[in-house]
Amino acid sequence: MLTLTIDNQTISIPAGKTILEAAEALGIMVPHFCYHKELGAVGSCRMCAVTVHTGPMPGVKMACLIAVEDGMVVTTGDETVATFRERVGEWLMLNHPHDCPVCDEGGECQLQEMTISSGHGIRRYQGGKGTYTNQDLGPFIAQEMNRCIQCYRCARTYKDYCGGRDFGVMGSRNRVFFGRFKDGMLESDFSGNLVDLCPTGVFTDRTFRFKSRAWDLEQADSVCPQCGVGCATIPGGRLRELQRVRSGDNPLVNTTFICDRGRFGSGYANHPERPRQARQEDQVVSVPAALTALETQIRATVKQHGPEAVLLVGSDRASLETNWLLQRTAKHFGCRVPVLNAHRQRHQTAQMAAFDLSERLASLQDIRSSDLVLVCGVDPLAEAPLLALALRQAVRKGGRVVLYDPRPVELPCDADRVAVSPLALQELLADGGVEGRHLRDLLSQAKNPMIVAGADLLGLAGLQNIQKWAEKTSNKERPCLVYPVLAGPNSFGTALLSLPEQDDLLTRLASGKVKMLVCVDADPLLEAPEGERFAAALTRLEQLVVLDYLPTSLSRHANLFIPTCPPVEDSGTFINNEGRLRRFQRVLKPGLSLARTAPGEHPPREFSLDTPGSDPQPAVLLLQRLIGQEQPLTEVHRQLVLEQPRLAALVSLKAGEAGVRVAPAVARPHSLDPLPEQPAQTLELVVTPARYGGDLFSRYAPKLEPRKRPPCFYLHPDELQAHGLKDGDAAVVETDFGSFTLPVRSQPDMALGCVLVENSEAFPQLIPGAGLGYCVISAGGANE
Amino acid sequence: MTTIESQTTSHLLDQHILADFIQHAGEIEHPREMIIDVLRAIQLHHGWVPDDGVELTAAILGLTPVEVEEIATFYDKIFRRPVGRFVIHLCDSVCCWTRGADEIAAHLQKTLNIEFGQTTADGLFTLLPSCCLGCCGIAPAVMIKQQFYGPLTPEKVDELIATLRQEGSA
Amino acid sequence: MSQTTQLLFKNRVPGKTVFFKDFCANGGYQGLKTAIQTMSPLEIRDLVKAAALRGRGGAGFPTGVKWGFFPADKPGIKYLVCNCDEMEPGTYKDGVLLGADPHQLVEGMILSAFALQTQVGYIFIRYAYEKQAENLRRAIAEATQAGYLGKNILGSGFDFELHVHGSAGRYILGEETALLNGLEGIRPNPRLKPPFPAVRGLFGQPTTVNNVETIANIPHIVTGGAQWFKDLALTPDGSGTKLFGLSGHLNRTECFELPVGISLREVIETYGQGMWKNKQFKACLPGGASTPFLTREHLDVALDFASLEKIGSRFGTAGVTAFDDDTCMVAVTLNLIRFFARESCGWCTPCRDGLTMVRWILEMLESGQGTPEHLEMLKDQLKNISGKSFCALAEGAMGPVAGLLTHFEQEIVDHIKGGRCPFSK
Repeated sequence: MLTLTIDNQTISIPAGKTILEAAEALGIMVPHFCYHKELGAVGSCRMCAVTVHTGPMPGVKMACLIAVEDGMVVTTGDETVATFRERVGEWLMLNHPHDCPVCDEGGECQLQEMTISSGHGIRRYQGGKGTYTNQDLGPFIAQEMNRCIQCYRCARTYKDYCGGRDFGVMGSRNRVFFGRFKDGMLESDFSGNLVDLCPTGVFTDRTFRFKSRAWDLEQADSVCPQCGVGCATIPGGRLRELQRVRSGDNPLVNTTFICDRGRFGSGYANHPERPRQARQEDQVVSVPAALTALETQIRATVKQHGPEAVLLVGSDRASLETNWLLQRTAKHFGCRVPVLNAHRQRHQTAQMAAFDLSERLASLQDIRSSDLVLVCGVDPLAEAPLLALALRQAVRKGGRVVLYDPRPVELPCDADRVAVSPLALQELLADGGVEGRHLRDLLSQAKNPMIVAGADLLGLAGLQNIQKWAEKTSNKERPCLVYPVLAGPNSFGTALLSLPEQDDLLTRLASGKVKMLVCVDADPLLEAPEGERFAAALTRLEQLVVLDYLPTSLSRHANLFIPTCPPVEDSGTFINNEGRLRRFQRVLKPGLSLARTAPGEHPPREFSLDTPGSDPQPAVLLLQRLIGQEQPLTEVHRQLVLEQPRLAALVSLKAGEAGVRVAPAVARPHSLDPLPEQPAQTLELVVTPARYGGDLFSRYAPKLEPRKRPPCFYLHPDELQAHGLKDGDAAVVETDFGSFTLPVRSQPDMALGCVLVENSEAFPQLIPGAGLGYCVISAGGANE
Repeated sequence: MTTIESQTTSHLLDQHILADFIQHAGEIEHPREMIIDVLRAIQLHHGWVPDDGVELTAAILGLTPVEVEEIATFYDKIFRRPVGRFVIHLCDSVCCWTRGADEIAAHLQKTLNIEFGQTTADGLFTLLPSCCLGCCGIAPAVMIKQQFYGPLTPEKVDELIATLRQEGSA
Repeated sequence: MSQTTQLLFKNRVPGKTVFFKDFCANGGYQGLKTAIQTMSPLEIRDLVKAAALRGRGGAGFPTGVKWGFFPADKPGIKYLVCNCDEMEPGTYKDGVLLGADPHQLVEGMILSAFALQTQVGYIFIRYAYEKQAENLRRAIAEATQAGYLGKNILGSGFDFELHVHGSAGRYILGEETALLNGLEGIRPNPRLKPPFPAVRGLFGQPTTVNNVETIANIPHIVTGGAQWFKDLALTPDGSGTKLFGLSGHLNRTECFELPVGISLREVIETYGQGMWKNKQFKACLPGGASTPFLTREHLDVALDFASLEKIGSRFGTAGVTAFDDDTCMVAVTLNLIRFFARESCGWCTPCRDGLTMVRWILEMLESGQGTPEHLEMLKDQLKNISGKSFCALAEGAMGPVAGLLTHFEQEIVDHIKGGRCPFSK
């Protein structure tokens, strides 16, 4: 620790920190622009000038660049630097338009704040201002270059941090332009971060333009539900419309970046088809009436057919509290334990993470500072986008990424990529011969090794081997950590709550004893494999009850439907991939947005005491009412912790905080089954979530349409040739789950021996994570 | 790397030069260092660097177009807009200024009937101001096709323009 | 005109370029042969240090000290880069040298590379010097042919390859880290220092960047010895000879090799042959556009690094631009600031926008629209830009502004009072 004095206050701070960080720790705000805690310091804006009075070269220094030294004396407000910062403010404003009252950034403009804090107020420069022609950067980002103050943050964000290669800095002197080579949609999957990082109104959220002033928004700390990473977000809404999502700040998870899927994929909350009324057999009913009916039916069914007859189903997109309340509800009515995840394999792999790997879980922060990351069976941009950014940061710091996957995985960084089929990957992990030994040696020799393991592709057996590898390559000095990539925002939490011996949904349904199925925030048709078997089982039910907030097909088929709330309209907890408890807070109350109740005319002409469309209630509250135990969330948490001591941190967890890891469990013993033989004459079937539309939320997000791709089968060109196919041909693929006809596309970067298909709303039939699968491909159908 | 179709690049580079660039880029560790060489070669061949010149450079070097554009737009001797056959770079720095560069500038504009940054209607001349050309000893000076002319007087300018016009119409 | 020792210009014949045969006939490559066969790299580095050679590119940093930071013994690839991006107004000496005698630089590069144990060298040359670049390419081919470049040079086991790298115009490339970015093909903004190029330079490897004239001096130091080289200067603080590029209102605007420490008067009166059109000397830039003005009172100052620093100016590149007494110094400064503002790379605020503001203030003053507030603003801008920009460009830009305010404030006041430029006709 080094001790220094800033503005007569003394602080002790670790070596390597800068004066700016030390001042910040003392609560002294030194105005700054180009410095950003994640992007680092580049010293270009010169705003953070301070006077250093000690050392061999005293004088005006940039606080963001100078490392603290023992005995250093610094002043931040002396006349020299105060005047200089005022000048920097003046210079930055030379070309800046005075359009603050109508600027999209107004109210949350760092330039405004910094100009004021620099002391600059009166314009002296009367010369000409530069003006620019803006580019069309696509549907997500609006550009207004006249507001640019050339802080270079956008380029550092887009290019350096996020690895985008279609955005850059052009021109020079006082005519620097930040944009693309030509007009067109920004290609990076992280383009939206330009909005958060631009300190003024150059890059703004085009989808949010002209909707609200920032100060009118209702905002709260939330957690993105669109994958298992659990990024901190700050959604903002107004007039009952979720209008935008910004990144929050979680240094252990996403830092201050989020992906475009999370940022622009929130349309589900205001989806025009979102079910907002309770229905019983196609009749609209009130929510209390629906609950009463539900209670009556559950009691009657249990009484008539026994505890097996009513099956409650939770999901990995429902909060921890909802899933726990489901277990409570089952107990209350004397039903058998609920199935918390309809996808059996996903549930098993999530349990691997929640129990067996829980002692050696890596955070994204760990990955960002790793020197060697072995990525097995993960396509980060599709399954956990922020993981891709974490890998990039590791590489930027000199780390190495080695990736094994059958898919043509794109990463925003250099990686040693090996395309292997799923079965070959399983064989590699099971032993792997020379190559396996080599990889384990690499891990053993690394300073800070991590394994990223894709649960969907590796399955239970793969994860078990990963666990072994991690154990073997850990030593006394440092562990080898594992980052499991799970499917849902709460896969980990759902798995942790369940007993390991839980039967899966289809087995329970196949028994024929189930008469009534209650799905809460779950659609097994879309979220679990073997949809046909499930659909067949549905016909044997007497009652299908659905509680959900998405307009899924299952909700339309329900005998009884009760609308619930998405995370932005609810408070609760998710446990992310690395076992971190993350609290989200309600942003908006449910209700039809004013834009829909009063299109083109405001205020609405009809008046009522109730908010239109406000029937949906959080599932937790509905379940509490169902069992007659309305309690505040704090009480839910207290009881939950009594049952699940690993979740002790729940009680003090707060939204907006980094979150706390669940307590580790002791790994369970496993026996590894031998790998099955591949049937002759088949190709391996690889089902992957689409980058956009793979998760259920983004299917109901109209803003994401421009990024969605039509479904097709991808094959290696050699494989296409071997099967007498060419790019664009229609082909029939026969799988265990049915035959499908789609066009084929040549993909030279994928593994041989595989057929790859993306699961999305356009092709929902095959679900990722169903285990090793095989198929036969043949030409068929009409040419496209 | 993108395949480079010869029929779409022949207006940008001689095919043997293109082949040399592609080969050299494949041999060296940091092909990006060739970026100015390639842009200059395209400019020499085509007169200026059009959008597809930027794209060709990117394809040769394994870069994206904007990564080339970042460089192309930085340097003032790479032209991203059409220029005349003779680009007259008139030094406007201090040494030439002391020896009457302002007078030469006025004379050039009058003679060619264009302003700085413009090209004559016949497409022969583009007039550009330039920072110090290193001709301080022969001020005032211009550079045309990397050749220096100075010290200039209005009469010498007239002679020079006449010579170039003749060369241009030949 | 007294005869002075000619090192760099010893082969120079105006209008002609000396190539391999003539260069060797007059002792060329002897220094290289001597050094590579009889001296260790460390001995050469020590010799350069002892010769007190200071960088000829403008900053005047002692070359031996700079070389002392270089990890010559570190294994792995290391680079020697020659900065021939000579673009500062009033500076044209490197262009003259390479137009006359390119082998001077090639021999210097090989010797320096041997001293620093670098395997690859680049000569980064400005766009306008295409003739000089051609000369260098030919010289490199000749030297390679003769076995002075390439593998196992002169049987020493030392390998060195040398490339010429053309630029495309921009003054900022003369800043050594911007030059390295330019060489790499990325945007040539200056880099943050530390790390210095000696630690992380070209492509992340240890690199030394030296000016053309600096490197061309090395063979002469090796041949003549450190003390001899020091003694070439006329002042005890000086060392060696210097190429002086004369320009502006002088009768003779040529480049001369003169001893360091020569008086300004001798340069102006003897070599420049006095003021053009029989006018009076008013002021000069002593070493390029970024060096604060000298005036009549400085005519007897010795031109070396230390003497000029003492009077608040800089030796710079020794490109002496003289102004007669009919010259408006506000206009001169405006011309210089226009240059610097236009050549700003656009990276840091004081340079990108600060120089824009200074330019505007000077435009107001020169056009007679200035007020006393503009004068105060100019002083205030000088105080706030100097020493606070990212690299030396804006710092250099403030050199003439500082000179203007120190020596010619009354001229500014006259502009304000008269509402017009007093020198305009």
